[in-house]
Amino acid sequence: MSDTPTRDPASVPEPVPAPVAAAPPGTSSGSSSLATKSPRGGWTRQELERASRLAPVPPDKQVLMRIRDLHKHFGHRHILRGIDIDVYKGETLVILGGSGSGKTTLIRHIMGMLRSDAGAVTVGDLNLNAATPEQMAGYRRRMGVVFQMAALLNSLTILENVGLPLVEVDRLPADQVRARVIKALKQVFLPAEEILQLKPADLSGGMRKRVGIARAIIQNPEIILYDEPTTGLDPVTVNGVNELTLELQKSLGVTSIVITHDLHAAFMIADRIAMLYKGRMIEVGDKDQIKASQHPVMHQMLTGSTKGPLTEGYTS
Amino acid sequence: MTEPHAHDDHHRTTTNAIPQFAMEKSALVMSSTGRGILDRAQVAGRALLLLWSAVLHVVEVKRSIPMLLRQIEFCGFGSLLVLALISGLTGMIMAVQTGIALEGYSQTDLLGGIIGVTFCRELGPIWAAVIILARVGAGMAAELGTMAVNDEIDALRAMSIDPVRYLVMPRILALAIIMPLLAAVSDFVGMLGGALIAKATFGTLITTFFESAKNSLAFLDVSSGLFKSFVFACLIGTIACDQGMNTTDGAEGVGRSTTKTVVLSIIFVLLMDLFLTSFVQLAMKRLLA
Repeated sequence: MSDTPTRDPASVPEPVPAPVAAAPPGTSSGSSSLATKSPRGGWTRQELERASRLAPVPPDKQVLMRIRDLHKHFGHRHILRGIDIDVYKGETLVILGGSGSGKTTLIRHIMGMLRSDAGAVTVGDLNLNAATPEQMAGYRRRMGVVFQMAALLNSLTILENVGLPLVEVDRLPADQVRARVIKALKQVFLPAEEILQLKPADLSGGMRKRVGIARAIIQNPEIILYDEPTTGLDPVTVNGVNELTLELQKSLGVTSIVITHDLHAAFMIADRIAMLYKGRMIEVGDKDQIKASQHPVMHQMLTGSTKGPLTEGYTS
Repeated sequence: MTEPHAHDDHHRTTTNAIPQFAMEKSALVMSSTGRGILDRAQVAGRALLLLWSAVLHVVEVKRSIPMLLRQIEFCGFGSLLVLALISGLTGMIMAVQTGIALEGYSQTDLLGGIIGVTFCRELGPIWAAVIILARVGAGMAAELGTMAVNDEIDALRAMSIDPVRYLVMPRILALAIIMPLLAAVSDFVGMLGGALIAKATFGTLITTFFESAKNSLAFLDVSSGLFKSFVFACLIGTIACDQGMNTTDGAEGVGRSTTKTVVLSIIFVLLMDLFLTSFVQLAMKRLLA
């Protein structure tokens, strides 16, 4: 993390020299070294996996999306084990988590592509589990999604890709589509006229990602979901995408939910950060609260240590 | 004294163990067979639902004209040359083999009828299906599979674009339009190949060959062949789209979907051919009675 060039160093946590575990919740004993004691730092598995208590909604915030007791199984595997979180209107919520923590499953629930086994995602009055196809179409019309690998259709040009929702959903005439596509591409700082007739394969990874963001914002969404938007990009492009996310947040005033395991990106763009571990939200807070977190999982995530609960199965 | 006891114990244990082992094995076989049947039934049900959903979307075809034309071009023109080549060669081989047998009875004038009926009833639709499933079906499964593993299908859903309307319906419809035409081309080129060989090898006039074909062919022979190819098109398109859309596990999954599409399509095309042929024969018998 410290190797990554930062444009706003103050917002990124300083690397912690030695991982120090806090006492488990409910005990008064002092801290002990994770490396010398145990990967869990004296915390029991139950304590590690305990979900963070849902914080009361601040008076100046308005809840846009409520996720309550969300559970999902795939076969015998219990992937989401009771997610509780509120998403506030206009904020950027970053959901951090290691591989296999349930990040993608959670975002697919938020996108309305999976139905939960128990619990619900509610946006306003709309329970996504009980939504009719028309209601779901209306919800998705309010939402833009930036996929991990941009998910552009390779057989279409950039104009056709970005304009796809306008043609297929809004059924706008070609001249209006073209004008809106050019505007959206310029919003993500791409040379619109030069790339309109190119295919996604003709662009670099960073440009493809920006085209994906342009497609996500072209219908003026209220919510933008980012599924690991900086994965596979070089540090300069990563910063570019992060700055773009911040810029769009300011200019469009949208609510953003960002799924990532990139700490630098998280601390650069987040209003709040939530840590997902084994299907539960174990920590939720603003950047300062997360930096000060004593939870061994959060601690390991922040320090990047190879010893700790996140890698317990591999290193012990 | 101890040895016989030990032997008895061993014998008892072995005789008890065999039925136990056999029972466990047979239970395993039964449960895996049952699971296999259930899985396949689930896949078949899923594919049928996909076809039904695509049929419901046909009313919106006007919105999918560019995609439909693109698919027709991909399915039809790309397959035409190889289909013509295979059909022509098959017609020639049939003419040689059948001609040799008929020559002994001085009945080579019947070649046109035999080759015409065989192509119109069976070989035309089957060759068109084989070429389409190998070339187009596998290509469709690979294309949709790659889209699925790259989240492109999820991206469509996230934009409120129904992937069945946008991707599946134009593909199945393009196949359903183009396959009967390809079968007709196969029928004609197969007969032409047969006619050329009949002329070169047995001296049968080309006009005699086609006259024989015309006299032997009934309307039902041609129409049933074209109807079969329409059904095969729906079958291949549905299998390819279903396998492609449900691809998981990256590049390996794409390869698996493509292979499965080819294997399942061949099996189901032949099964459907058997069913339709029996049905048509039955219908013909009743019609003639």
